[in-house]
Amino acid sequence: MTAPISAAILASMRSILAALIIAVASTTTELQAQLDYNARVGVTWSTALIRDDIVAEVETQPRLAPTLVLGASLPIAPLYQAGLEVALTSSGYRAEEAGISRDLGTLRTGSVNLGLQGPISGSFRWRAGAGLLGYWPKNERGIFLRGGTTRFLAGAGVDYRRPVHSQWEMIVSVRYDFHRFTTEELQARGFSQSQGVQRVSATVGLARGGR
Amino acid sequence: MRCGVRCPLWLVAGTILLSCADIAAPSRGNAYEWRRLLPSASGVDTLSFHWASSDLPVRFWVEDSLNLPAHVLSGIDQWEAVFLYGEFSGAVVSDSSTADVIVKTGIAPKGGFSITRLGGMAPECQGATDVELSASGQEIVRPIRVYIDPRFAVGSPGLDECMALTTTHEIGHALGIFAHSPNPEDIMYGDPIVSALSRSDRSTAELAYHTQPTLGIAPR
Repeated sequence: MTAPISAAILASMRSILAALIIAVASTTTELQAQLDYNARVGVTWSTALIRDDIVAEVETQPRLAPTLVLGASLPIAPLYQAGLEVALTSSGYRAEEAGISRDLGTLRTGSVNLGLQGPISGSFRWRAGAGLLGYWPKNERGIFLRGGTTRFLAGAGVDYRRPVHSQWEMIVSVRYDFHRFTTEELQARGFSQSQGVQRVSATVGLARGGR
Repeated sequence: MRCGVRCPLWLVAGTILLSCADIAAPSRGNAYEWRRLLPSASGVDTLSFHWASSDLPVRFWVEDSLNLPAHVLSGIDQWEAVFLYGEFSGAVVSDSSTADVIVKTGIAPKGGFSITRLGGMAPECQGATDVELSASGQEIVRPIRVYIDPRFAVGSPGLDECMALTTTHEIGHALGIFAHSPNPEDIMYGDPIVSALSRSDRSTAELAYHTQPTLGIAPR
């Protein structure tokens, strides 16, 4: 993705977020009563961002990343909800070659995911959605020499809820998502196509709302 | 509307199928020979070297003369930008006794038998890099010494540009590119004329830093 496109997507992500915040803030009392929201913390594991082949294979992969997720949803049918999840991660990332690992610095990601939720059985619910994922390296060097990147994202997951208070529920979530990774620097160097990257996160938190 | 557990399962199956393809790395076939091939009694001895991760950042001490500090910083930046996976980084230090590489102006003094001299000569200036080997011939003795010598009077047209590209060229030798490129479009050409690193320079440096070196660096 070129820088202007990335900037445009980031701007649209901010606009979507701002619109949703305003929409939630300005909803009627009735709608607010139906609003379901949650905050969760956990970890995200990711497959390799790049597999390069110079002399031996060099694999660049984020480390296990602490994760913060904020989610909100509204009912759209008796059993289904539409919602938004914002997830932030921050971790180191490394290059590994022939068993030797080299730290490359800190990598932050942020994703916005619009999705649908529905029942599985009992306290379990599924969620599936799509959105955008941004990579923000702390230092612009190496594969991020020309800056971070924004990619399209698709994913699915399962939530488990258990009441812990009259209004609060404990929520345990597992998410899987997928995107194709490349950067402007990699494209400039002649890397073609992009790398399929899969991420799995496990989070736990509290939910409150009108589900 | 109800699709139960099947909806997310189809989505997961679809995305896993999409995720099979990997990014395709570019060819590094345009690299040139970077190793020093020395005749020996039994044939040819191949000398190759790169700084290990544990030695990074490589410490450069620079004489504050003829805009040399700026040229060295620019040269370090250019070489750092070559690497995708943190293979090299450099920093300028104030204490020459802690330096891995010393960069000075002037003509290189006459070297001893253990010194391998690598040079570059543009019209307005010349450079040389002295790499001294230990008695065993298996290790490089710190510091590597770089000399940048103006051949014309200070202020002459083109001199600053020549000093800049020659400094970048000599830093390339200090990184471990112990030979010259046969192509004038490369900064590591013996008589360098370009100011920026080429794709061949980049491929060569990448190969050099992913190939097991024959030389190590002697402990301080």
